[in-house]
Amino acid sequence: MTASADQVAAELRVLLAEVTGRDELRGIPAATPLFGGGVGLDSLAGTLLLRQVERRYGVDVAADDLNLDSLETLGTLAAFIAGRITDPPGPR
Amino acid sequence: MGSTTADATLIKCVVWDIDNTLLDGVYLESGEQPPPANSVLLGVMTELAGRGILQAVASKNPPAAAGYVEQLAGLDLAAAECGWDAKPDALGRIAVGLGLVDAEMAFVDDDMLERAEVASALPGVLVLTPEDAAEAASWPQFSPPVVTAEARRRGRMYAERSRRQAAASQFSGSRAEFLRYVGTQVIIAPAVDADLPRLRELSVRTHQLNSAGQPVTEAELGRLLSSSGHEVTTVRLADDFGDDGLVGAAVLVRTADDQVLVPLVMMSCRALGRGALDALLAWLCRSAAVAGATRLQVPCRVTDRNVPFRLALAAAGFRAEPGPPAPDGRALFSRPLAGDLPAIPDYVSAPGQP
Repeated sequence: MTASADQVAAELRVLLAEVTGRDELRGIPAATPLFGGGVGLDSLAGTLLLRQVERRYGVDVAADDLNLDSLETLGTLAAFIAGRITDPPGPR
Repeated sequence: MGSTTADATLIKCVVWDIDNTLLDGVYLESGEQPPPANSVLLGVMTELAGRGILQAVASKNPPAAAGYVEQLAGLDLAAAECGWDAKPDALGRIAVGLGLVDAEMAFVDDDMLERAEVASALPGVLVLTPEDAAEAASWPQFSPPVVTAEARRRGRMYAERSRRQAAASQFSGSRAEFLRYVGTQVIIAPAVDADLPRLRELSVRTHQLNSAGQPVTEAELGRLLSSSGHEVTTVRLADDFGDDGLVGAAVLVRTADDQVLVPLVMMSCRALGRGALDALLAWLCRSAAVAGATRLQVPCRVTDRNVPFRLALAAAGFRAEPGPPAPDGRALFSRPLAGDLPAIPDYVSAPGQP
């Protein structure tokens, strides 16, 4: 199965609304920053989000991205995840 | 190489069955009057709670059974899973809710099948019979090296936390608005000698929000406190639900080239999601900038448990030096102290803040 970044972004909006308890996040644009003024993701909500991402997509963002730059915006996180899902399994 | 006493993982939470374990009988089969406590096990429970070890129940009973146990024991349970789910599921929810790994939990149940189910599904959990548990207070896993006032209040703090989480789920605004709404207070202040036992305890017990990934002895902490080259800063946290006391600290060093290095940041997982770590990082940046430094460096030993700490670093604009971390996980995170520095919220009081 492959997934486009758009599909992943749509699912991430739902996950973000769930882990923060804020329904308005279901409608945010892909360019919304996840930290700071945008979503205001803190370490608790971020950890819950990354746990759900790992469970759903099998992508361990924290292990693959030391700086967590992939969390810059909703769109960058979706692209990072989509790129890993389509990677063929194999030795690293 | 055998494991020594010092290697035994400290148990942070004991999860008790209720029927025929904490109670001498079955809660639902005793008519009007619930069965009496098993006095030996209830004694162990209160002794361990006094050492700062969290107490929880997982029981196939209505929630009132947990309230009955709290009343008998005269303590606040950190978590209560009452229902008809399998015990491993109940323990899993307790672990997530309290931020624990399996190896930090013990499970006590009279029922051999329930014990076998937990031992098989969660091999890290220390599974005990009531007979084992009666002696557990003398085991090293249940004997933390230091017990502070914060530790003794721990069960109550987790009960406050459940009430805070319930309020948060009802609240519709942002996290920052919620923190103001519940009267959050973060107090940043220089450490004093009386803080040393609690600082030592934080260095042993914190993992999710810890940059060093290893404990620091009380002697070493005392040396840092009296050294003119180091500053030790503490963070206290309170809100309308309760006072968590000293929840975190950072150690600062001024380097030869006039930069500021932060070799240790540690914070209790109770502070997760409550703005205290973000406030501390913002204050570290701003006070280093005021002192003339142009860059703030935070060495961090990257582990699979301190992802929450890395999230806070990323949110505060810190980035690691290019390249993979060292084999032991060490990476140097830093950020420039020019331009937009992270804001210190108005619920924070700190040296140099109006």
